[in-house]
Amino acid sequence: MVLRMSPTALRTFALGLVLALLTGACSSSSDGDSLTLYSGRSEDLVEPLLAQFTEETGIEVEVKFAGSEELALLIEQEGDASPADVFLSQSPGAVGFLDEVGLLADLPTEILDLVPVTVRDDDNRWIGVSGRQRVLVYNPELVDPAELPASIFELTDPAWNGRLGIAPGNGSFQDFVTAMRATTGDDATGEWLAGLADNDVQQYDGNSAIVAAVGRGEVAAGLVNHYYNYRFVAEDPTHPGLNHQFGVDDPGSILIVTGIAQLASSENDEAAQSFISWLLGESAQQFFTDETFEYPLAVGSQPASVIPPADFSAVGGIDFDELGGGLAGTRELIVGAGLDG
Amino acid sequence: MLLGLLFALPGVFVLVKALQFGGALGDTLVEALDPLWRTVLLATSVAATAAVIGTGLAWTLVRTNVPGRRVLQVLAVLPLGLPSFVGAAAFIAALAPGGILHGVLEAVGFEGPFRARGFWPSWFVLSLATYPYVLLPVAARLRALRPSLEESARLLGRSSVGTFFAVTLPQLRASVLAGAMLVFLYTVSEFGAVQLLGFDTLTRVIFATQLTDRATSFSAAALLLLLAVVVVAAERSFHEPIRPDDRANSRLDNPPTQLGRWVVPVLFAVGSVVGLALVAPIASLSTWAVRGLADGRVDVGDLVGPAINTAIVGVFTAVVAVLAVLPLAMLIVRHRSRAGRVASVAVIGGFAVPGIVIALSLVFWSANTPLLSALYQTFPILILAYVIHFGSQALGAAETAVRAVPEGLRDSARLLSPSRFDRRRLVELPLMRPGLLSGGGLVLLSTIKELPATLLLAPLGFETLATEVWGSFEEGFYAEVGVASLVLVALSAVLTWGLVLRNQH
Repeated sequence: MVLRMSPTALRTFALGLVLALLTGACSSSSDGDSLTLYSGRSEDLVEPLLAQFTEETGIEVEVKFAGSEELALLIEQEGDASPADVFLSQSPGAVGFLDEVGLLADLPTEILDLVPVTVRDDDNRWIGVSGRQRVLVYNPELVDPAELPASIFELTDPAWNGRLGIAPGNGSFQDFVTAMRATTGDDATGEWLAGLADNDVQQYDGNSAIVAAVGRGEVAAGLVNHYYNYRFVAEDPTHPGLNHQFGVDDPGSILIVTGIAQLASSENDEAAQSFISWLLGESAQQFFTDETFEYPLAVGSQPASVIPPADFSAVGGIDFDELGGGLAGTRELIVGAGLDG
Repeated sequence: MLLGLLFALPGVFVLVKALQFGGALGDTLVEALDPLWRTVLLATSVAATAAVIGTGLAWTLVRTNVPGRRVLQVLAVLPLGLPSFVGAAAFIAALAPGGILHGVLEAVGFEGPFRARGFWPSWFVLSLATYPYVLLPVAARLRALRPSLEESARLLGRSSVGTFFAVTLPQLRASVLAGAMLVFLYTVSEFGAVQLLGFDTLTRVIFATQLTDRATSFSAAALLLLLAVVVVAAERSFHEPIRPDDRANSRLDNPPTQLGRWVVPVLFAVGSVVGLALVAPIASLSTWAVRGLADGRVDVGDLVGPAINTAIVGVFTAVVAVLAVLPLAMLIVRHRSRAGRVASVAVIGGFAVPGIVIALSLVFWSANTPLLSALYQTFPILILAYVIHFGSQALGAAETAVRAVPEGLRDSARLLSPSRFDRRRLVELPLMRPGLLSGGGLVLLSTIKELPATLLLAPLGFETLATEVWGSFEEGFYAEVGVASLVLVALSAVLTWGLVLRNQH
């Protein structure tokens, strides 16, 4: 060998080679008793559910974990040859992208009817399984409860100059802005974004970064999905952040859903559909709300007692049809306002 | 040439897609002009800084009697094993109240809060993350240099510092430049750290528009590719073709430069670099890890499987990458092949392409070629992606390695043994070993932290430490990020010492 390895190192290579061939040989085969899932949600939050699903149904699930956008791009490149049966997307944008390029299968009515009309695709190709509400996370040492705004429109007030954090490049923020365009129009949305930029809004990478910055007092408050603050408290009980809900009808209190779809290329209907309906069953919905502090979406399910009740029917979820093609326009508005899309 | 083609696969993919989506390069250029400028600015400053730090450290650790240099040699390389988004997140945490850097800054009189955002934090974090790209090849070159020239210089009355600048540095130039170019390209393709630190470079344009405005996304990628090819071609033609040394290292150890009264300042300088690059992130990571381990949320046992996977793909890729580029390096150095130099531009340019683009391009080629489609989502295709992405790191080092074999020595060897294999093994390899090992080491450390290709191309259910870190980071489970990252750093240390540094002497 070139590198003059010790015998142990050589043996490691040999082992690696054997393992390589083995993993290569036994991957990718999907019969009725197994299912291939591409998950945009991370392993920690999905693996316990899968174990329970396999235990109850006998269907084995093989998973690829990656970011939702990356997986959507992967599926698009794979096309008809995709090994995946089901795609679980953290954001409506990624699953909407696949819907637009025609790679999703139609879902049967009995599955669609498991959730309210407001949290499913109008073309019946994907549905929401759990949701996060957009909220204002704030540091109570820096924000007087009396000044907490009832509407996001108050955040362009000089009183909030330099004190607010947002993540304009983040998928959830962009989904929220897209929904806001649908409810309040492009002009009002663009003005609001420009108002934030003029108000010295602080920009961050994502929800976690904002919650952390609020925790250490770098900004007084930030626009995020509600469940990150619960996780921070679970990680570090001294974390001071608190969530504030905007008014029920306010565009700021919209629900961002986790979407699931079967791929058009999947010939594994039975397993795929049983998995999707299982995620909307009682035990999975309970898991979403107990373990990840999300809002369960199945008709008749109840959120865990630690999260405040929210009335989504009034908000109407997000107008999903606006999301796919609409995201490009959303980014233009954000960049046009002088923020880092 | 075939090798060059293989490495050009991602580039061709980008161009095909850019044309398919009808992205007008002109329009993109207008929109991307600012990000492009920021990319060049950041990449140039980081490359220059890393070149200075890397060369200085290499000389100090190889050629002086600085105390503890055996340990420092391992520690100084480790920042490379840490994914840059983890480095950036740990740096942000270290600047926050209660963080280690926050304490230091307040102690020397600065007032908080410190907000890590924009050019300077990005420059700082990336410089400290990338100087090993210079350190490893330069250290290998220093070990391969014969001491006689320097001894003569010193006998003729030059001081140690004078000898370094007049005699040693010119001989290091090609290695320093090659390393600095790797840093430049790494910074150009970097996404995780600039995203967290909010510095809007070209890669952020590619990512921000990847779903919504694909014409812009692929045009921006094509622009980045163009930048890389121009820079690589410029670097390759800037210096004279690399030639083998005239005489071999006599295998006599260079007597280390005695630091004398300089020992304290030098130790302080080396200590601050390694401290900032390694201790500060590790302090943040440990804070997170301790919380998770204390209340039993994180089980280190779960990381054994991913750690083994990580080690296997890392070592395997390193060996394959070195073997793949060695013939090219010989072609370039010994035969001064023009085709070889063109192929090398493709190999090196591949490093500037973001990992996600390389991964998607292999999916694209798999879907369109029967041979590759049979291998889709298997181990070999993953290794192929790594080799395409990181082959550049092995190439520079392999050139250094081939240089270390003087032509005269090869002629003599030819007289002594008719077997080409025997000559390679007995005469050439011992001389090439420091260079090859340093190249393998760079590939190894890059591979074990690689994310996008691993996530998209690995066989289903295949987990590495980097994918574990990423999954936890995405969801805000910092305790797990801390533990998994520390295991990753420990693994880097063991592999670097056991496979690379221990064998270089």
